[in-house]
Amino acid sequence: MKIDLSFTLNGSPINTSVAVDRRLVDLLRDELDLTGTKIGCEEGECGACTVLVDGQAVNSCLFPAPEVDGKHVITIEGLGESDNRLSELQQAFVDQGGIQCGFCSPGMILSARALLNENPNPSQDEIREALGGNLCRCTGYVQIVDSIQTAAARENSDD
Amino acid sequence: MTHYDYHRPETVEEVLGLKRVLPAATFIAGGTDLMVRIKNRVLNPPALISLRAVTELGGIEDGEHTRIGALTTIDELCRHPLIAERYPLLAQAARRLGSRQIRNVATLGGNLCNCSPCADTATPLLVYDAQVQLQGPDGSRQVTLAEFFVGPGQTCSSPEEILSQIILPPPPADARTLFMKKGRVKMDLAIASTSVVLVLDGELCQEARLAVGSVAPVALRLPLAESVLAGQKLSSELSAEVARVATTEIAPIGDIRASADYRRQIIEVYLRRSIDQLAGIVQ
Repeated sequence: MKIDLSFTLNGSPINTSVAVDRRLVDLLRDELDLTGTKIGCEEGECGACTVLVDGQAVNSCLFPAPEVDGKHVITIEGLGESDNRLSELQQAFVDQGGIQCGFCSPGMILSARALLNENPNPSQDEIREALGGNLCRCTGYVQIVDSIQTAAARENSDD
Repeated sequence: MTHYDYHRPETVEEVLGLKRVLPAATFIAGGTDLMVRIKNRVLNPPALISLRAVTELGGIEDGEHTRIGALTTIDELCRHPLIAERYPLLAQAARRLGSRQIRNVATLGGNLCNCSPCADTATPLLVYDAQVQLQGPDGSRQVTLAEFFVGPGQTCSSPEEILSQIILPPPPADARTLFMKKGRVKMDLAIASTSVVLVLDGELCQEARLAVGSVAPVALRLPLAESVLAGQKLSSELSAEVARVATTEIAPIGDIRASADYRRQIIEVYLRRSIDQLAGIVQ
């Protein structure tokens, strides 16, 4: 059984057809070749598959693909600038050592994006709270928190 | 990979109609538990009937009784000013449920329908005397949450019924409230949890409502411990006695997350601490 879906993906309208028993992460990676979204635990524990749906961070491994119809989806591929430069948030992760192996980074960065969109100046506690559903096994979390604080400062100074 | 059909009805009538035609289908709301069970092959439904497009199941209505649509997400509960003001225990428990990604999608109705003894929203709703509305082919009925919880994963609703609303009577006036949850890390399911509501008149405890989670087949109120507390003059000796009585009303099991003894001890400590703190007793 297939279903036709129309939604906005990284700012562009998209029409596609997908088997109804696929998850959003399968749709993104297998059908649309957007492999920046990672598959970790597939149980909503690790956050590697985090994407934004209508601005809210969700685990795409738990999100049935049919539910994306009519929604706005942002993946890590949608965050960079139009001239292929990294966004300020991504660059801050590079500058502060918030990336090591990189597997958790797309999910971390999208959780951070959702946080900064609703709270442009988060405290360290608020950052840790917002990242509670994202696991990193390499860097530890200090550099990741630093990265987000750096990004917040840079984004605020742009305004 | 399990294969299933997927239906997205838009009204409760369509939902119930689909279920009549597809009796083996499973309802899905936020799916944060269900999708895991399907992936792990604990469940193998031939079809899912999604409730997410049924707008009449959403929303929070003010009134003499507060009516919360079953599809209300946990994150909405965290942020809604009416919930924070009138039912603070529910807002506090919602904030302790899972990660932000889970809270953005998981629903209040789903948390209750899974009927897990560790459901974070269960103990607050029990102390607020919540009722749930069930809608089925023969109409709707209202039952207390205590009646709704039958056993682990088992509710009193029939397979054709859906939970449509959670109904909260006005909270007791001037109540003091405290929610506590024990987990190893913040995202954990509760090892044990407590919700306490006290109405005080000076040093006298006029009314006491106590509920506990993760320490019996279902989340439950503690009528015996409540009766020891109600009408009495508050003291650290009384809180200790209430907490001790509470441990006789629970039946915890040991599992991968904690032993039965540890759970019993947490309940005793949390209830004593909650009552002391709400009563302003310094230990």
